[in-house]
Amino acid sequence: MVTSATLYNIMQFLNITIDIRNVCVFLAPFFSSLTTIVTYLLTKELKVCDLAGLVAAAMIAIVPGYISRSVAGSYDNEGIAIFCMLLTYYFWIKAVNTGTILWATLTALAYFYMVSSWGGYVFLINLIPLHVLALMLLGRFSARVYVAYSTLYCVGTVLSMQISFVGFQPVQSSEHMLALGVFGLCQLYAFADYLRYHLSPANFELLFKALLTTLLATLGTAVVVLTVTGKISPWTGRFYSLLDPSYAKNNIPIIASVSEHQPTSWSSFYFDLQVLVFLFPAGLYFCFAKLTDANIFIILYGVLSIYFAGVMVRLMLVLAPVMCIVSGVAASSLLSLHVKDIEPKVEKPDKKKKHENNLVFRSEVGAIFVCVLGCLLVSYVFHCTWVTSEAYSSPSIVLSARAHDGARIIFDDFREAYTWLKMNTPEDSKVMSWWDYGYQITAMANRTVIVDNNTWNNTHISRVGQAMASSEEHAYEIMRELDVDYVLVIFGGLVGYSSDDINKFLWMVRIGGSTDRGAHIKEADYYTGSGEFRVDAHGSPTLLNCLMYKMSYYKFGLVYTEGGRPPGYDRVRGAEIGNKDFNLDVLEEAYTTEHWLVRIYKVKPLPNRGL
Amino acid sequence: MKTTIKLAGCYHHLTLLTFVLSTQSVLEEKVEQLTDMTAKQSIIHLNLNKFKEYVRSPPRDYSFVVMFTAMAPSRRCAICQHVYEEYLIVANSFRFSPAYNTKLFFGMVDFDEGSDIFQMLRLNTAPVIMHFPAKGKPKPADSMDFERAGIHAEAIIKWIQDRTDVQIRVFRPPNYSGVVAFAMLFILVAGFLYLRRNNLEFLYNKQMWAVVALLFCFAMVSGQMWNQIRGPPFFHRTKNGPVYINGGSHGQFVLESYIVAILNGAVVIGMIMMIEAAGGVKGTEAQRAQDGKRRRLQTVVGLVLVCVFFSLLLSVFRAKTQGYPYSFLFK
Repeated sequence: MVTSATLYNIMQFLNITIDIRNVCVFLAPFFSSLTTIVTYLLTKELKVCDLAGLVAAAMIAIVPGYISRSVAGSYDNEGIAIFCMLLTYYFWIKAVNTGTILWATLTALAYFYMVSSWGGYVFLINLIPLHVLALMLLGRFSARVYVAYSTLYCVGTVLSMQISFVGFQPVQSSEHMLALGVFGLCQLYAFADYLRYHLSPANFELLFKALLTTLLATLGTAVVVLTVTGKISPWTGRFYSLLDPSYAKNNIPIIASVSEHQPTSWSSFYFDLQVLVFLFPAGLYFCFAKLTDANIFIILYGVLSIYFAGVMVRLMLVLAPVMCIVSGVAASSLLSLHVKDIEPKVEKPDKKKKHENNLVFRSEVGAIFVCVLGCLLVSYVFHCTWVTSEAYSSPSIVLSARAHDGARIIFDDFREAYTWLKMNTPEDSKVMSWWDYGYQITAMANRTVIVDNNTWNNTHISRVGQAMASSEEHAYEIMRELDVDYVLVIFGGLVGYSSDDINKFLWMVRIGGSTDRGAHIKEADYYTGSGEFRVDAHGSPTLLNCLMYKMSYYKFGLVYTEGGRPPGYDRVRGAEIGNKDFNLDVLEEAYTTEHWLVRIYKVKPLPNRGL
Repeated sequence: MKTTIKLAGCYHHLTLLTFVLSTQSVLEEKVEQLTDMTAKQSIIHLNLNKFKEYVRSPPRDYSFVVMFTAMAPSRRCAICQHVYEEYLIVANSFRFSPAYNTKLFFGMVDFDEGSDIFQMLRLNTAPVIMHFPAKGKPKPADSMDFERAGIHAEAIIKWIQDRTDVQIRVFRPPNYSGVVAFAMLFILVAGFLYLRRNNLEFLYNKQMWAVVALLFCFAMVSGQMWNQIRGPPFFHRTKNGPVYINGGSHGQFVLESYIVAILNGAVVIGMIMMIEAAGGVKGTEAQRAQDGKRRRLQTVVGLVLVCVFFSLLLSVFRAKTQGYPYSFLFK
């Protein structure tokens, strides 16, 4: 937000007239182009291969894992955050390589920007200390690293504490303890080095041991005292969720229900990275073969982020840059190794005899190899283009499908429904829908919603889930309580749109049943006797009579959807619906869009007395 | 006529009263006996007589949860043992919990001790956990569905809570095996390091760390974490033979992820072979003619590995993703 405002003001200052909306739309592409430049600089700084920077930059420019956040119009924190993260890494490696306070301070500034833009900064503040720790263990700790890390930690922590969201967390929460501990360790290590320099070895040994024991004892007592008095509580669920990322998912349904928080299957890795999947290990091999301070950092970053990306699809975003960097190293090193063979060599006259044998076919093999690698890279380009055009470039609000003859059909039902809401309902009316559509309704229909995509507090989402999962009478009470005027459901049974509310319904049941007030909602009631989720005549009666079912399938039993099928055939579930003939008592149908994708119902007022 | 009827009515009323009185005492006696038995053993072992007396015959104000099982080794019921352990945890948690009362008892019937009970209830499978409510006959929902709910103590407790409104908190006897295993591992590693204390160079062995990192990458990229969290089947059996590759792009089988890991691994090995063949990272030149031949062979093998396994991987991916247009060598 601040970034786009700043950009807007700069543009205005330079007398370039640009709409603030355009600034927002083009913010993500702008930042991703900056990311490309930073990737180039970062890879170049690794000094494994001179040309790797260009290859890496070219790769990150089109990698699908990052394009998802950098297409024009995706106005998201992550777009900026990835740029900040890479910038921080670049400055950090620069700082480690040079050991100057200037670069370290720049790192801290970049870190501050990162903290202000994304909660994922926690990854960064754990990765850098880990790098320092690894350098220490490998005996590569030097004054350069000391200067870089001490400066970064002091300046970065003070700056990050200015963000109200962070506050005192850097000294309290367990996620930041590694950074603090490594900072302390750095000071001790440097102090020990200083003593070693001034004292004789025997004296030093004695002093070192004495100091170490005292220190450990003090620390141990402090931890015990603080734990007993409850100032710090290291063994909470939060700590476990740090160690075992699946902890939160298995215990909190709202986290588990978001599609971005699912674990990553191999096909999504391949979908988002393609050739990088196996160029990455080859690049790691290169990094290990030429171990430097910077390479250790990249190895740590790669291994850690590949773990986190495996846990959560969303963190693919963090993995994609390092994949590009390391793969860039691999591709360009391989190319330069083999291109050498193709180039005609100036033979030294005295060694000519020896080399004659090696050179048979050598240039041919080299040429074939370059061709194959070229093929791989070209296939990468094609793959990325295909993925981007299929998955990331269509607006999520307008759906399209292909008819049998190949013509394109556009489903513009969402905009139709939102426009209807905007034009035909009172301005102060409140709309209830599942949380996925909250922001869209707020922005496009300009109406108040009960729940939206902000999921930090799940009790009200749970309440909506309960309303959807209850019978009509019970749901009416909840809707009166929430003061709802309109209810909106997404229904794909007519056109075969599979991510509709019936398919999300089990999550509503689970989230609805996860709080105290929803204790009467039991997931088992919505399954058939054999444990299936069915909407046809064999489905469980609770399901066939709940509000969501009724709203989705109201009057659907009269519609022929597919040739040769009975009326009321649901094309998503592939079944004829089980409850066809029913009326709604507390709701009335207000509007249904052309393809029935969005159905809006009006909540009836309380009936008049005496009826 | 009128009086007779009234008299008869009175008589009836009286018997009812005595009946109620007697049931009251019978019930108290029964509950007392059951409480005693529970104090000895948290799961009451039932035979036909006891089953009839405590579980089926009417004066009851308590719910009875009974597990029907076949624990004898000759019956070869592996799952019975697991269910018994979980069931025992539930019964113990209830007995030692502050919420303990005489409204709920736990019992079990072994097939070898009470096969007539199995016949009486027309049970032909084991294990079954059934709930006998205080009033009325058990409904279909009163037998627990292991297939859907699972056999964990938590699931059993949730089911009991659904049926009887008695809330139990699971108290598992702490499982020391994990701690012991961890301690053993720690001691082993520490001991190993201590024995090799004069020669810790191997910890700084780049090659070893490189291999570990690469293996970790393959495991993650092939979706082992997904397997860990979702627990998919190893592969799918259908009528037309086993299916190894899940057709949907959002699912995968365990075997499938291994296949993909191997394919990835083969491509990477091919690449590394080519790196080495071209003189390695340091770029050393081949010195002897023999060396040159070996390198050439290595390059060719590496190249073939990369091509073949990359195209295999591509075709596997193509099979999973609808409408994916690209392929290489193989369809």
